[in-house]
Amino acid sequence: MFLALLLCYGGFTALCLSMDRHHAELLGRKPSARRRQGMKLSGWLLLALSLWAAVSSTGWGLGLVEWFAVLMLSALLLVLLMPYRPRLALALAGLSLLASPVAVFAKG
Amino acid sequence: MKEGFRQAMAWLHTWAGLIFGWLLFAIFLTGTLAYFKDEISHWMQPEIPARSLSSEASLTLAQHYLEQHAAGASRWLIDLPDAREPGLSVRWQQAPATPGTRGQFTEKLLDPQTGAEVQGRDTRGGEFFYRFHFQLQMPYPWGRWLSTIAAMVMFVALISGIITHKKIFKDFFTFRPRKGQRSWLDGHNAVGVLVLPFHLMITYSSLVIFMTMVMPASILAAYKGDAEAFYDEVFPASNTPDMAGKPGQLAPLAPLLERASEQWSGGRTGSLTVNNPGDANASVILARDGADRVVHDFGSALTFNGVTGQLLSATPKQALPMAIAGSFYGLHMGHFAGPVLRWLYFICGLAGTAMIGTGLVIWLGKRQLKHAKSGVMPFELRLVEVLNIASMSGLMVAVAAVFWANRLLPVAMAGRADWEVNSFFIVWGLSVLHAMVRRGRAGWVEQLALAALLFCALPLLNALTTPYHLGVTLMQGDWTMAGFDLTCLGSGLFFAWAAWKMQRAGQAGVVTRPRAKSIMLEQEAH
Repeated sequence: MFLALLLCYGGFTALCLSMDRHHAELLGRKPSARRRQGMKLSGWLLLALSLWAAVSSTGWGLGLVEWFAVLMLSALLLVLLMPYRPRLALALAGLSLLASPVAVFAKG
Repeated sequence: MKEGFRQAMAWLHTWAGLIFGWLLFAIFLTGTLAYFKDEISHWMQPEIPARSLSSEASLTLAQHYLEQHAAGASRWLIDLPDAREPGLSVRWQQAPATPGTRGQFTEKLLDPQTGAEVQGRDTRGGEFFYRFHFQLQMPYPWGRWLSTIAAMVMFVALISGIITHKKIFKDFFTFRPRKGQRSWLDGHNAVGVLVLPFHLMITYSSLVIFMTMVMPASILAAYKGDAEAFYDEVFPASNTPDMAGKPGQLAPLAPLLERASEQWSGGRTGSLTVNNPGDANASVILARDGADRVVHDFGSALTFNGVTGQLLSATPKQALPMAIAGSFYGLHMGHFAGPVLRWLYFICGLAGTAMIGTGLVIWLGKRQLKHAKSGVMPFELRLVEVLNIASMSGLMVAVAAVFWANRLLPVAMAGRADWEVNSFFIVWGLSVLHAMVRRGRAGWVEQLALAALLFCALPLLNALTTPYHLGVTLMQGDWTMAGFDLTCLGSGLFFAWAAWKMQRAGQAGVVTRPRAKSIMLEQEAH
């Protein structure tokens, strides 16, 4: 479940950065079209990966429930963190993406 | 046309949400607490020790106890302890004095390690919140009907809310605090949209749980008005052999657990029923504990001969429609959830509660603006304000009152469990009076501050009245007790923060605009 949480949080942050307004808020400038596309693609990819991570660790039944749970929690965390601690929200996304390969190995 | 439809939906969302909002808030909050039903019960009955346990050893102790104390009973019922419910509960039913009547039940709670009787204080524990969540403390079946109607309205409010909310994807990550009414709407949308899968699941599944009550027409039509025949077919009773009339020696029950586990490919036994325990035709029914699967299986059981240990019958495999209904039931109850997932369920429940609460605040806030200058509020707005305060902050105080009553009422008091429940309703009623007496913001601030005080002081009260204070429970790693105390402390701090915010927002309104503007400029500079 932890790996799925890391990937979900990273994915949502990427999706958030693919929007002009949030990109400007968090990074201070508007993104280029290519950057926006890249962020969108990697965001969706990370969310799909997190689904795989949840299902592969506990099977479809419990895996889907856990995936939805971390999906909702990570989005809620990001949205509540952004207006108060924007740097922390970004730093957490970086950390979670860095930590996810470690989580894969720790599990396997 | 399109806008007309959306406006109609907005109207529906506004009024359905308002009329049932107060009730739904209470249903959601108590339901959220019910995810920790067993943990709350454990805190409210600290006399029952939580220990590491094995089902086999507990069952042997239970059998030994029942053979000594209830040899002549017609039926034994044994509830095995698990990680969340540490007590080993045994019940037995006397053979009825006259045929056709129900024999009297006796219930005892045993220490799963020693087999000695444990006397827990008289309380409903977490069961109170669980029952209130769908029965609303009303006589059967009115509470169930009312809560089911509330669930339908909730479903309507969710769907109409999705249609009303124009920019779901554009505003997906948007939350702008410190902007008054705007922030409340942002918060309402954010918890609504981000936790939407949970809201839809919990609301729809609650309708599935009561579907035979709400929509009996198809059953009555197909079974020609005989609903009993439907239930007999859906929940086949295990046929148990009649009494032989000859005495027989009951075989040890513990080995049956292993055999049941093989039958269920690793599934645990939750409870056992022994029919005619002293008879040559004694039978043992093992019911499966649902905590290992998401899909709930209603009444999955094995029947053994009590003397020879021969497997007599097994309930058939779950049919697909039952599995679908069972998965909604399982998802709603979350029996399968381990500690982490259980906390996530709890957080989702709180998000749902917050969504309803913010909606109620927005309704009033929008309409109050019109009357801000005159300072006089029409009666209907004042009514909504009183109900808002009492149904939200008043309910929090009432929940705290249950826990305080649990520790302060004397253990030997007659009708103790009822007085815990009474204190909940008395305090809730008082909060209505208080909200009527005090004007608007003062009512909010005072009730939130009281909730903060009561919750923050609960760990202290626990330390003064029982030997299980945080210092002990944290050292021993008793996370149920420690977790309860810490959660109370956390909620108390949250209420204190909320009260402080309320107080400050009230003053900011008086000090007028320039100050708010300078704060905004300051933020933009950072």
